[in-house]
Amino acid sequence: MNSLPALVRDRQICVCVGAGGVGKTTVAAALALEAARRGRRTCVITIDPARRLADALGVATLDNQPRRLAGDRQSELGIGDAGGLWAMMLDMKSTFDDLVERFAPDAEARERILHNPIYQHVSDALAGSAEYSAMEKVYELAEGKEFDLIVVDTPPSQHALDFLEAPQRLIEFLDSRLVRMLVHPAFAAGRFGFRVFQRGAQRVLKLIERVSGVGFLEDVSDFLLAIEGMSEGFRERATRVRSLLLGSGSAFVLVSGPQRRSLDDAERFLARLEQTGVPLAGVVVNRVRGWPDGGAPPRQVPDGASRPEAEAALARALAARGGEGFPAEDAARAAVDCVDRYASSVRRDLEVTEPLVEGSRRAGRFAVRVPELAGDVHDLEGLVGVAAHLFPDPDGR
Amino acid sequence: MSGPGQTLLERRLVIVTGKGGTGKSSVVATLALAGAQHGLRVAVVEVGLEEQIPGLFDPAAPPVGYPGREIHPGVTALRIDPYAALAEYLGLQIGVRGVVDLVFRNRAFRQLMDATPGWRELITLGKVWHLEQMRRDDGSPTYDLVLVDAPATGHGLTFLDVPRVAVSAVRMGPLRRHSGWVEEMIRDTQRTLLLPVALAEELPARETAELVERVREETGVAIDRVVVNAVAPAPFPSGLDDLDRHLAALPAETPLPGLPGPPVLAACAAHMRARHELNRHHLAEIARDTGLPLLVLPQLPEGVRNVADLARLAGPLLAAPEARAA
Ligand SMILES: Nc1ncnc2c1ncn2[C@@H]1O[C@H](COP(=O)(O)OP(=O)(O)OP(=O)(O)O)[C@@H](O)[C@H]1O
Ligand SMILES: [Mg+2]
Repeated sequence: MNSLPALVRDRQICVCVGAGGVGKTTVAAALALEAARRGRRTCVITIDPARRLADALGVATLDNQPRRLAGDRQSELGIGDAGGLWAMMLDMKSTFDDLVERFAPDAEARERILHNPIYQHVSDALAGSAEYSAMEKVYELAEGKEFDLIVVDTPPSQHALDFLEAPQRLIEFLDSRLVRMLVHPAFAAGRFGFRVFQRGAQRVLKLIERVSGVGFLEDVSDFLLAIEGMSEGFRERATRVRSLLLGSGSAFVLVSGPQRRSLDDAERFLARLEQTGVPLAGVVVNRVRGWPDGGAPPRQVPDGASRPEAEAALARALAARGGEGFPAEDAARAAVDCVDRYASSVRRDLEVTEPLVEGSRRAGRFAVRVPELAGDVHDLEGLVGVAAHLFPDPDGR
Repeated sequence: MSGPGQTLLERRLVIVTGKGGTGKSSVVATLALAGAQHGLRVAVVEVGLEEQIPGLFDPAAPPVGYPGREIHPGVTALRIDPYAALAEYLGLQIGVRGVVDLVFRNRAFRQLMDATPGWRELITLGKVWHLEQMRRDDGSPTYDLVLVDAPATGHGLTFLDVPRVAVSAVRMGPLRRHSGWVEEMIRDTQRTLLLPVALAEELPARETAELVERVREETGVAIDRVVVNAVAPAPFPSGLDDLDRHLAALPAETPLPGLPGPPVLAACAAHMRARHELNRHHLAEIARDTGLPLLVLPQLPEGVRNVADLARLAGPLLAAPEARAA
């Protein structure tokens, strides 16, 4: 059976995916915190956390290095000697530069790439590079074997699956025949003899040249020539990153919210799960408005009495306490109104998230709803609060 | 002078930007409706894969696609398909459409283009430029107002920054010249306005502040107000601001027919009040961090579904923006 306690106990990698703005970063950090409290050496890789949360985690600088939470903070949080909490803020640009450093065939090629005007413009926009950088960092840390568990937040991409497809897209780009043509026109023509293709490609090149002027293609070709040598190492690496992420030590957690768009995104993700081989362990539905006592909201407010009756009774009670001049009737009306509205939003959130939660449980995965809290989560105490909802049963601690 | 003195409908081009789900499409549709009601001929441009705006005018509307269609009297909507726009552009450049079609059928060309960043934004803005330039026989603009529902990925700025990058990366030729025209339009503070849409929540508030800062530092694009969408009304009527405390003060066992007990009533009220105060806090933060006046749009209980809902948002969207002391 999949469960969050089992996940943080047994796995080595946990990837949080989901649409932007649903609280992936918060959930990732809370999971990591709980894992650390349960005795594991845990590193959370966050992407673009709110500044105060980053400060609280002790990662105010973007230096791409895991930082261990100060010892006294750890003991306050109940993290014992066996466990430990590290956090890192991912600097996507620098990870990509690291990749160039590592895979450039020689120092000269490396410099050529890093200084090429095209690289400088595209490295952050190159299809999938942000997503790939995140995964690359996970791999590097996993290789280092310094941590028992790495929890990773994913970039706020259009769709939850973007990051998995990112390496493939990069490889396709590096491999595309047109790129080869640009790099080695003669080679491509002679060796492969794609005559038809060649005619097409020549046309494309001519066309691009006519529109863009000559210099541009030279820069592009220079850039491609420089990165071409990287392609082999990169491909091999990308394959390994992928098998690590899809392997038995990894678990994915899909994070959603009760908003229509994040639920739709979650559905799309689930629909494509089979094809991708992603080891999904379960779903966290974050910021679901909850009923105060944790039970079910009433079907209607008032329920079992008429509205005037209910308001009158409440007005009497308020008047008895409110003293002289307190507008008890107005207050009662406003209170019933407000509770009515809140109850209907709680019912709505429950209802729209039910298919996701039910579907997940039916498929043997966990599903946890985290209620919308009264304030934003920007400190460790806030994370402890979120963790308490993620792990309602304090077993295993 | 550009500034809050100029209303949103007095521009030629309004680019609506913001994080996904903040309400960009709703704001664009509302502006389009308001513009048409003021007698303007409005073009609405969508960029993403899905068409969202025509459905707000008519839930049964078939897709408008790239050629576009009038979806409401005075409102023409189109969805820019970058490949179609590129084919159109290249066809115009070389004069022979057939060659372009041949090239577009080439798989390697597709692969390369799919992986190449930047050109989609550039070609999209080029098409927007073209819409803004279009004239009728009598010389008047075909569209008085062009509204762009900018893509939600990344920062809206990358979208606007592409022509500048193109001008610096491409040394000569028609592409450079055309990018220059587009850039000129974007930076023309009389013609063009960037309109950010935020929510009164932590991350959208922060991202909006970052966007505004970058627009100021890196581009000359006019930005003179921020829309804060879907702001919930105060949970209690004025004068009863601490209603939750009054409820909390009631004895827990007070019998209340049909109602949950006082502790639950108080907890509901306290939660709504806390969320409301959080909203006010983020509103003040957006105002302080951007230094811009805000247009606050109310949260509609059922979401934005149709023309009637758009009409409800039009008033606050066209109102004089509120300057707020932090
Ligand atoms: N003022 C409002 N009150 C209530 N609901 C709103 C309001 N504005 C927008 N919404 C709802 O929020 C959701 C997102 O709105 P919309 O589609 O306009 O956002 P968007 O920024 O265009 O999103 P996307 O990034 O997906 O294109 C919709 O369900 C819409 O009905
Ligand atoms: Mg939209």
